Amino acid sequence: MERVKITPMIKIEGISKEFKEGIGSRKVKALEDLTLDIHKGEVFGFLGPNGAGKSTAIKILINLISPDTGHASIMGKDVMDKDTRRHCGYLPENPYFYDYLTAEELLWFGGKASGLSSNVIKERTNELLNKVNLQAARKRQLRTYSKGMVQRAGIALALIHDPDVVILDEPMSGLDPIGRKMVGDIMMELKAQGKTIFFSSHILTDIERFCDRVGIIVSGKLRLVDRLDSLLSEASTLEEIFLREVELSGGGVEV
Amino acid sequence: MTVLWPIAVITFKEGIRNRAIYGISIFAFLLLAANLLISNMIMQEVGKVAVDMALATISFTGLLLVLFVGINLMAKDLDKKTIYMVLSRPISRPQYILGKFLGMALLILTTISILSIFAIISIFMVKLSYPGYFPRFSWPLILLSISFITISLILLSALTFLFASFSSTSFITLVLTIISYIIGQSIMDVKALVEAPQAVGIKVSPVTVKIVQAAYYIFPNLSIFDIKLQAAHGLPISLSYIFWAVSYGVVYTALAIIVASVIFRRREFP
Repeated sequence: MERVKITPMIKIEGISKEFKEGIGSRKVKALEDLTLDIHKGEVFGFLGPNGAGKSTAIKILINLISPDTGHASIMGKDVMDKDTRRHCGYLPENPYFYDYLTAEELLWFGGKASGLSSNVIKERTNELLNKVNLQAARKRQLRTYSKGMVQRAGIALALIHDPDVVILDEPMSGLDPIGRKMVGDIMMELKAQGKTIFFSSHILTDIERFCDRVGIIVSGKLRLVDRLDSLLSEASTLEEIFLREVELSGGGVEV
Repeated sequence: MTVLWPIAVITFKEGIRNRAIYGISIFAFLLLAANLLISNMIMQEVGKVAVDMALATISFTGLLLVLFVGINLMAKDLDKKTIYMVLSRPISRPQYILGKFLGMALLILTTISILSIFAIISIFMVKLSYPGYFPRFSWPLILLSISFITISLILLSALTFLFASFSSTSFITLVLTIISYIIGQSIMDVKALVEAPQAVGIKVSPVTVKIVQAAYYIFPNLSIFDIKLQAAHGLPISLSYIFWAVSYGVVYTALAIIVASVIFRRREFP
């Protein structure tokens, strides 16, 4: 029987990564044989305790680090190809940008570097700064911003080129309840536009609110991947499932 | 080219708005103002002193700019992870290095241009007060000397990129750059000395000669860009010297940036 093959938007195949810890030769496994497909229009929540390997996996997708083994692609193209980043927006964990640039200049850079025309950049900048509520602060240097404002500027930067795939590393961290709602609304809007969202979090309620599918990663190993609704049908809360998986993995939680 | 420009622009803006640049500028203006006072006090060879002092100020200020603003621009990208905002765009590692370097070169050009205006004013004012001390004075030579200073600073800046591409902290980059600068300023004299030690009556082992010769080819020979003395004394510089010095600067700079790009291509940013 032949099935129609749909190329996943994000494909991670058998990725492993080790880091050297300090000067000694002791190596720490950050990721172990991670395989994952994320399809078009999906909101995928990557859940795991601190130090589980969520950011490592994301940085491999942006080609900030390279895997020891395995292969990752976005929209069918190897992540080593810089053109994948034309269709992909990324928000780093605890983002930090140039101190002396303004939000407007930051978005100008993001747009220009992604090949947008000046007119489109102007339009998108206006739209996005309204969305993340930074319109009033657009001409202020980023060093005068609060942590939450920097985070929101980072979200605008990740979306300036209207990417098809949006990768967000802990998008809610450092945000107050208003900021969290704002980011939540943006994520729902992106989903309605058919964008693919891959985001990491250790906050269970965020995952429960936005995700179609969930992957739980503990100590570098993917423990479970399933649709949120089918997970919730077998247990009462996501928290219960999460704690069970952490415990089954041998309690590899770093506090 | 289209992706290099935005990187160069944000690098330039980040550099020019840095507070350190105000400090460096104030220092330079004070030195140039001091030029007038010192010329007043010396009352002999005033013309040579004024030119030498003005050019030395430009050169030293430029060095401070490369060491404290330039290295910091690159180091911050790595330490504070601002590099993520650049590399998460469709930008390759070599493009990042090249764009960043262009921004830094632009910063050096701008700063030196502003300083030069003030230096020229200070020389002009001294010349106005003591016209008798400027018999063999030449503006073209002063401008040539400033251009040479600019080339050597851009070369040194390329070297900071090379060091930053493999070192883990900005401190190592700073130390390596200072060492290269010191060696680069004196290597030609040292080489001349060890190759003809009998001239001063000392003995040099063959190993030392080999080491010095190797260093001569590895480290940049910055002394060829130092024509402050010729400018101060109004001594002519041949066209072929200018041609070879500029070619040397361009080739060395290009090599440093190419090697930095190759190393940077393999670097990880966890």
